[in-house]
Amino acid sequence: MTQRLELDGVTVTHAEGVAVDQASFSCASGEVVAVMGANGAGKSSLIRALAGAEPLSSGAIRVDGQDVTGMRLEQRVRAGIGWCPEGRRLFAGLTVAETLDVAATGGAAERAAAFERIFTLFPVLKERRDATAWTLSGGQQQMLAIARAVISEPRVVLLDEPSIGLAPVVLDDVFATIRRLAESGAAVVLAEQAVPRALAIADRAIVLRRGVIVLDVPAERIDAGVVASAMLDAGSERA
Amino acid sequence: MVETSLQLLATALALGSAYALTALGFVLIINAVGAVNFAHGDLVMAGGFAAVALAILLPEGVPLPGFVVLPGVLLVMAIAGLALAGVAYVPLRRAPPVSVFISTIAVGLILQHAIALGAGPQPRVGPALVGGGMVELLGAALSYQQLATIAVAGVLCAAVHILLHRTRFGRRLRAAAQDPEMARACGIDLRITVGATFALAGALAGGAGLLLSHQYFVTPTDGATFMLKAYIAVVVGGWGRIWGAALAALFIAVFEVLVAAAVSYLVAEALLYLGVLALLMLRPQGLFGEAEGRRA
Repeated sequence: MTQRLELDGVTVTHAEGVAVDQASFSCASGEVVAVMGANGAGKSSLIRALAGAEPLSSGAIRVDGQDVTGMRLEQRVRAGIGWCPEGRRLFAGLTVAETLDVAATGGAAERAAAFERIFTLFPVLKERRDATAWTLSGGQQQMLAIARAVISEPRVVLLDEPSIGLAPVVLDDVFATIRRLAESGAAVVLAEQAVPRALAIADRAIVLRRGVIVLDVPAERIDAGVVASAMLDAGSERA
Repeated sequence: MVETSLQLLATALALGSAYALTALGFVLIINAVGAVNFAHGDLVMAGGFAAVALAILLPEGVPLPGFVVLPGVLLVMAIAGLALAGVAYVPLRRAPPVSVFISTIAVGLILQHAIALGAGPQPRVGPALVGGGMVELLGAALSYQQLATIAVAGVLCAAVHILLHRTRFGRRLRAAAQDPEMARACGIDLRITVGATFALAGALAGGAGLLLSHQYFVTPTDGATFMLKAYIAVVVGGWGRIWGAALAALFIAVFEVLVAAAVSYLVAEALLYLGVLALLMLRPQGLFGEAEGRRA
């Protein structure tokens, strides 16, 4: 399998200390890597660093072999990284169609095709295309946030806690969509606290504790109990 | 009675449409970078002087001098807005907002004194948009100048609306104003959106300066008054609400003109400031509510 996304000793340092310490893993095309950990374990910092929203203090990030470490946030989109941040952060005053238009790249024909693709993937967004983002339901907002991240057909999709605040029935939809993104060829990194759901769609499971990767195994080899103990315990295992 | 009120209304709308352009540019910068541009009033004043200067270059007897110099004034002031961004905002964009208050106040003062030095402190008359004729409506004599002022401001406001809501670039400006980091994550270069917003604000201030410079003259110290009107319009209209600010600017002018006609201009100003104080205490979100976003 070719690796789409490779992390090599990624380290992120905040004023309060090291948020991510020497993280190295990779994610192939078609693969979902679930990054799990307690609050403050460094999931969001890792995702933000991959998106380009936070600088690395050391290490390197590659997309399809291309080094993107030095690229600014707005350049990483073109390098093939799509980011759906924690808390969705939609453009509240823009409509669904306006939001997608802002995020779509390429000429008019390419953008029209991208809209069609997105509306097939997220039929609910087509129904509500002229609704302002803040008037959408929580599930619709999450769909729009994911759609915004993937409309430019990124090769790497970063999802930060997409399950927060959503009802269980809506979650089924969201996680099925995430799995489909991988099926279509993207490398998906999913930071999640909803461990059983994340494991159900993940190929690999990574557990962060205080910024350090303490577990990196194929998802089918573990269950939520193992993850929970790795999130909290001192015991570590790498496979 | 009807004719007097119609004439007053035309005066108020002409003044108010210039205020609306001023407030529009002011609030666009607040939204785009979360900073208050205290040089905005001085940009309006500079726009008035740019109109005066460009009109001097015109040959004698050119018809519609105000319309002829309008594109030039918009262009010069767009460049001035861009320069303001480069000098007073970009170097301080990571500093606390108060530093941008101070740097824009400084640029405003420099602009004011430079123009006073070059053009002298006396009032100047800007070019008229149209000749001095009047049109009769329901017995009231309305001046062509006032009607043309309202029309020009209306067209400029409509152009801004179309830019922001009907073009892809405008949608990107709005996205960048709402969440700069997420806008970057969508591939938007903030240097371009911020620069464009300052240029747009400068051009609108220039348009306002041109429209005000004929009827009300322009002096180098006028900036502070324009600044206050724009600030009040944004407070009344709801911090960060673009069309709330423009509408509030119209109300301010109607209020000023009516009270000035009934009592005096001084009383109108005093009541206006008292009204704003009362509003800030009773309804701090503004008359039309506050848009989501940061208060600088």
